[in-house]
Amino acid sequence: MPEKRDVEINSRQDTLKLITPEIRPWPVSPPPSPEEVKKVYGKRKAEEFGQWLEDNMRLEYSFRKAESLQGFKVLDIGLWRLGHKFAASLLGQAGAEVIAIEPPTGDPLRQLTPFGREEYMLADKETGEKCGLGFINEMRNQHSITLDVETEEGQELFKKLAVHADVVLDGMLPGYMDERGVGYRQLSQINPRLVYCSVALRGTWGPMKDRVSKFGQWELDPFAQATNSYAHNTGFPQDQLPRGKGGDPTRAGSWVADYIAGEQAAVNILAALYWRDEFSGEGQLIEVSSAEALMDILDFDISWYGFNASIKARTGGWDPNLNQYEWNPCRDGYMMIGGQSDRLWYRIGMCIERDFPQFGRLIHEDPFLKEVGARNALHALIKTYSVTTRWLREINRVEAEEKLMDYEIAAGPILFIDETC
Amino acid sequence: MAGEIRPKSKEELEEMKAPYEEYCRKAFDPGNECSKPVSLNGIRWLSCTMYIFTPHSAGNLAELGAEVIKIEIPRMGDAMRHTSPFNEAYLYPLHDTRPMTGTGFGFMNANFNKYYLSMDYHIPEMRDVFYNLVRQSDGLTELYRPGTFDRWKMSYRTLQEINPRFIYVWGGGFGYGPKVFGGSYDILAQAHAGFASITGMHDFMGGHCTKSSNWVMDWGSGTLIAYGVLAALHWRRKTGLGTMIEFSQVQTSTRFTEYAVPLYGRFGIVRQRWGNWDTQLCVHGMILCGKSDFPDAENPQDKHDARYVMVSAFQDADFKELCSVIRSKELYEKYRVCKDRVEAMAQVDIYTALEKWAADKSRSAVAKVLTDAGILASPVMNDREVYESEHYRQRGTVRWLDDPLFGDVLLQAGYSAGMLSKTPRRVNWIWRPVGADNLTIYRDLLGYPTSKIEEWYAKAWI
Repeated sequence: MPEKRDVEINSRQDTLKLITPEIRPWPVSPPPSPEEVKKVYGKRKAEEFGQWLEDNMRLEYSFRKAESLQGFKVLDIGLWRLGHKFAASLLGQAGAEVIAIEPPTGDPLRQLTPFGREEYMLADKETGEKCGLGFINEMRNQHSITLDVETEEGQELFKKLAVHADVVLDGMLPGYMDERGVGYRQLSQINPRLVYCSVALRGTWGPMKDRVSKFGQWELDPFAQATNSYAHNTGFPQDQLPRGKGGDPTRAGSWVADYIAGEQAAVNILAALYWRDEFSGEGQLIEVSSAEALMDILDFDISWYGFNASIKARTGGWDPNLNQYEWNPCRDGYMMIGGQSDRLWYRIGMCIERDFPQFGRLIHEDPFLKEVGARNALHALIKTYSVTTRWLREINRVEAEEKLMDYEIAAGPILFIDETC
Repeated sequence: MAGEIRPKSKEELEEMKAPYEEYCRKAFDPGNECSKPVSLNGIRWLSCTMYIFTPHSAGNLAELGAEVIKIEIPRMGDAMRHTSPFNEAYLYPLHDTRPMTGTGFGFMNANFNKYYLSMDYHIPEMRDVFYNLVRQSDGLTELYRPGTFDRWKMSYRTLQEINPRFIYVWGGGFGYGPKVFGGSYDILAQAHAGFASITGMHDFMGGHCTKSSNWVMDWGSGTLIAYGVLAALHWRRKTGLGTMIEFSQVQTSTRFTEYAVPLYGRFGIVRQRWGNWDTQLCVHGMILCGKSDFPDAENPQDKHDARYVMVSAFQDADFKELCSVIRSKELYEKYRVCKDRVEAMAQVDIYTALEKWAADKSRSAVAKVLTDAGILASPVMNDREVYESEHYRQRGTVRWLDDPLFGDVLLQAGYSAGMLSKTPRRVNWIWRPVGADNLTIYRDLLGYPTSKIEEWYAKAWI
């Protein structure tokens, strides 16, 4: 283990020079040993149960066990997006045999790399061809083939594959497969047991279905986040940060709508397969779109509009439904604190009071803040978090976490990727 | 033979000839979901869950037709019932004994179609009742700290003896390992596992790590549990055996960061935030326009924030056209090649030029000019605009439900999780008060006499 050193951390800037192989084990922190974990279970008098979990659930044992979806055959055809790819990965990771089909020119996603940096692409051992990490990351357990469905011969080959398939994942443009005679309409004639799932951006039909530009460019994810109100509702309001400096609608860092659509597609596919195998013997057509799948899990935002015409505003690192439940800046980053029920709420306060006695007087003794529901009013959030941040600004992330953990509060710092791995 | 496709009837011939869009519309037939069968017919699922993450995993099954029994703390119910945005949206009542308390909208969307049972299962006298439920069910989702259900003799170790076909899910924050007892929430997952660190404006743009508007890691993880449950059901069809699923919510957040983890693992580069732009494509980001679309609106969300457009022109031809629309030949000359545009400083340059061009225009004007030129652009929509969008309305993914208990409720969820042509998802009711189905389940399903149920109720055991 690397040795301990005294360092002064005043901001994240100070932590950057600490990220070296000497200080932090890199590439990744080693997994904990069973002995270390045993001690943790011991603290809660659950050693026996912990041992049972150790014997049965340990990640390393996965490879000696059977796979739940073995026997299912999946074809995945599509370009550019992550939705159908994530669905295919999930099915592949659970044991289905997945064949990813690309045109002979390859999926353009292969060419993508952050800021165009080719040095962060991986080269094929034999051909030397470079491929972006994003693409590789989403190709888990998939076999790769090329097939040109533009040609008649390619279409025939695709049909021959589809006859034996349980699932086809379609990540192409609306109607593209159908026009070439290899969509659900045609394939279901030759394979009535086929479950065919389109994973689109906003849908393959309807007034705002997926578009392409005049020059053939596809619509890709942040469009889904922008057209289902996710982006509008995410970010800081202008009384916290000025416009153009974070006080704007904000997209997620990743193409999160695609991920959500992908997992939801996998759920729907397995449900359709269950119905096929258990009841009817028939396949069916499924459609999942990124914008809608993300809208499905957009809390209650649009239902709230239906309730009293509220249009959700941005609340930055705070949550309008719970108090406390937020992250706020501390000395070297951000600290997340959560605990809404009375039990947790007062425990958070007790923890803060140890260093900052005014917290008790200002927050716990405020009669308005004694009622769980009332604490969610905007002015209650502002008051609680202002006083909490007054405490946080004096300490750094590790200190805050340790202090809050003493009181068994669900709290944690925002970690960067290196700190996560 | 592969390739030979002959329609068998006149209807089928017409179906084969219809334009694809029309075919889809007919196949999915929004509004008539209830005339079709459900996928998960006959599956009965128990849910000892709270908040969003684990309830959503069971809710997902309930939308697909499983019979989900949600077991809540007597009289209090799920903690999520007591949450509502700024404390303003409630439906009444919560429970017989609490007529003045309502269920808040925080409870929405994760709990459709469930049956509501109340039971204090940690009371030893109720344990047999719980076991009787287990005997008649396919599985269970729980979210207690690890070892709690084991201490109560309700963990997989015990339940598999009672019902070997039982599928058991533990959904928690960290899973097996040194942090196993750590509690978790959605934002803890966002914060702790990388997602927050790549969301929001970069330091040099003046921004901070940004929380997703919704509990995205709760919902996203819940869906992944539903996926695990379905995979386990398929496995059980072959073997007749149940299984235990352990799910760590925090790890979902890491999985949703695209190339960030392999980039760090291979090269030691830590992915940072990049605001509303894209690290791999340019132009592919949201820009600020000078004028709001609704300067006279009363709601500040319309008045001040209807100013953003998502613009995408990362391919060379698109970028060329975009530059000609904003009349900046230099910009095109400077960044003709895709690879040059996506460089960090180039992105700053390009988006600055775009925002400068949009500085005297309204959001809809910018979107229209670009769309007319054949470039992809779309206004960043707020909740009202999504509600009013013809697209979602026609597809039935935003629609009103006449809830049997609460009347008209606007739905954004359930139907939008995906359309299935033969066994569609559906929403029958949004939720019911705490313990609303006690009689149905204790008396009709388990066969306990009414007097017994009344006794439990009086003692607040149910």
